[in-house]
Amino acid sequence: MDRLIELIPLSYTDSVVLIGAVILGVAAGVLGAFAVLRQRSLVGDALSHAALPGVCVAFIATGAKDAVTLAVGAAVVGVIAAGLILVIERTGRIRPDAAIGVVLTGFFSLGIVMLTFLGNFNNSSQAGLDTYLFGQAAGLLVSDLTVMGLLCAASLGLVAVAFRPLKVALFDLSFAGSVGLPVRLLELAMTAMLVIAIVIGVRTVGAILMVAMLIVPTVTARQLTSRLSTLLVVAGIAGAVVGSAGSLISTGAGIPTGPVIVLVGFVVAMSAILLAPGRGVVWKAHRVTSERRRALNEGVLIDLETALQSGPPPTVGQLASLSGRPPAGLRRALRNLDRAGVLRRDGDRIALSATGTAAVQTLLDRRELWSAWLENGWRIELPDAGEPDPRDLRASLGDDLTDELLAFSRGGPGE
Amino acid sequence: MSDAALDRLGGVGAAAPALEIRRLTASYSSSPALWDVDALIPSGTLAAIVGPNGAGKSTLLKAAVGLIQPDAGHVLIEGRPAREALDRVAYVPQRDEVDWDFPVTVREVVEMGRYRSAGWISRLRKADHLHVEQALAKVRMTSFAGRQIGELSGGQRQRVFIARALAQDAPVMMLDEPFSGVDVRTEASLLGLLSEIRRTGRTVIVVHHDIGTVRSHFDWALLLNVRTIACGPVQESLSPEALRRAYGGLAGEEGNGEVVWIG
Repeated sequence: MDRLIELIPLSYTDSVVLIGAVILGVAAGVLGAFAVLRQRSLVGDALSHAALPGVCVAFIATGAKDAVTLAVGAAVVGVIAAGLILVIERTGRIRPDAAIGVVLTGFFSLGIVMLTFLGNFNNSSQAGLDTYLFGQAAGLLVSDLTVMGLLCAASLGLVAVAFRPLKVALFDLSFAGSVGLPVRLLELAMTAMLVIAIVIGVRTVGAILMVAMLIVPTVTARQLTSRLSTLLVVAGIAGAVVGSAGSLISTGAGIPTGPVIVLVGFVVAMSAILLAPGRGVVWKAHRVTSERRRALNEGVLIDLETALQSGPPPTVGQLASLSGRPPAGLRRALRNLDRAGVLRRDGDRIALSATGTAAVQTLLDRRELWSAWLENGWRIELPDAGEPDPRDLRASLGDDLTDELLAFSRGGPGE
Repeated sequence: MSDAALDRLGGVGAAAPALEIRRLTASYSSSPALWDVDALIPSGTLAAIVGPNGAGKSTLLKAAVGLIQPDAGHVLIEGRPAREALDRVAYVPQRDEVDWDFPVTVREVVEMGRYRSAGWISRLRKADHLHVEQALAKVRMTSFAGRQIGELSGGQRQRVFIARALAQDAPVMMLDEPFSGVDVRTEASLLGLLSEIRRTGRTVIVVHHDIGTVRSHFDWALLLNVRTIACGPVQESLSPEALRRAYGGLAGEEGNGEVVWIG
């Protein structure tokens, strides 16, 4: 470990902080995924809060204040809290969120009471335990790092070896049971991994905010990948980056570590939620907007064609009253159509250009195809399980099937 | 009862029945979901488990694959206790039991069907990959193999689940409500697929609720309402009398003696 610290071009203390943060980030990122993907994120929150009474109990029992002893206390009380959540859910017919809420607040309050009690009786000896509220990256010992590193490596090893059973159990518990996997044992293992991640991270991030380090990496990674194996790697990296950036900033600025780490994580997660290609909010909003614009443009084009069929080229006002569309939308659509070169202006009257006539024809053809599909689509044998895109059936069905479909609908209902 | 049922099947009777249930009782909390159920489904049939809501159809299937511990009774698969015959059954759970935004591709889901036989740790072999590709082709999902499962329609998701069951290469396939929430076209196509699977010599057991399609497509039916109402070839087990007993006042009789199922 010492040799590793020498390799890092930072001061000794900063290097220790950095290594600790990377270990915590990787552990929380990878192991947290097994809670988030099971929709059990808030169990992580409850177990993190239960770490507070855990470290107090460990201190009262042993009088020791080193990170490892306290971590053992956090783990033991965390397991008790996890068991209690399960018992309440199973026997009390209480929903998971309520069960988690009861256990979280109960254990955390117990922790606060113990912390105050310890402070009143012997002010100097409890000093340090209150850092478990909001976390402190500074002050980790190299021996602590070794223990954290070994725990992290052991649990990642477990994930690697049991990857397939874990994946199957995460995705489909019933199927997992039906092929003979020990489902209860796997659930227990996933909870144990959660406890390990918390124990590794709670000193640095703090009991109150630890849950963020369990959730944020997976949320970020899920935006970027659709494969579990990749997701675990990306979540580990995201956790390490967030953890180390937050720790270094906080020790530099003298702010509690937890809030800084979580703020960094928040920025990372929000960026991924907004900007991730394909899944990001911005991306989706863009798709919706362009889809609406297309529908509006096509609708106005059809309205115009209808008007032209029944009389002379209409003015904008006539078209508005005929189509019944809000004028602002209509003007926007006409601007779009003008730009596409499908309109021919005749003074204040509007007609179709040559491209416009062709475009209208294509649109009408597509609509005819769509109604033919709704009526007779069931007669068409599709080559695979693909479901055709209603907006452009010819492109998704191919010419042969399209002609077959049209033959059905033009030939009437007879066989 | 089993001998009589086997006799009716003639030649098929030589093999042990795919599924045999003896005096099965199972319960959720206090009220029994299944009570003293006897049933027999011969090998090589396309069989339906039908009955009203709350009749215990899904519970029966779950008990048959060992997902719930019955209070009493036995489930035999091909003549062996269910727990020893896990490799003989491919179970397809209800679609809404899983999170379809889960980060996994179509091919990966189908590969899950090979894990048990290939080993939970070792790499999939060439033969396993071949099974996966064949299963994907059978359900016509080859071109979707790389997609994330959340991008699929309800019918396509059901196909993926069936492909996973096919990849398990088990002689008995059990599906829980595979047609719920899919459109008519997809239901017809999935029914065709299940008939095709049956023709390869497998037994296909389906929890289903539409008496009409059971009559037209299935050859065996277990009519269930907490207790066994009838079990046998479709035309015998789905008699007007039996349906009335299963569905109570909800099944009426029309002038021509044909039972109309309402619900």
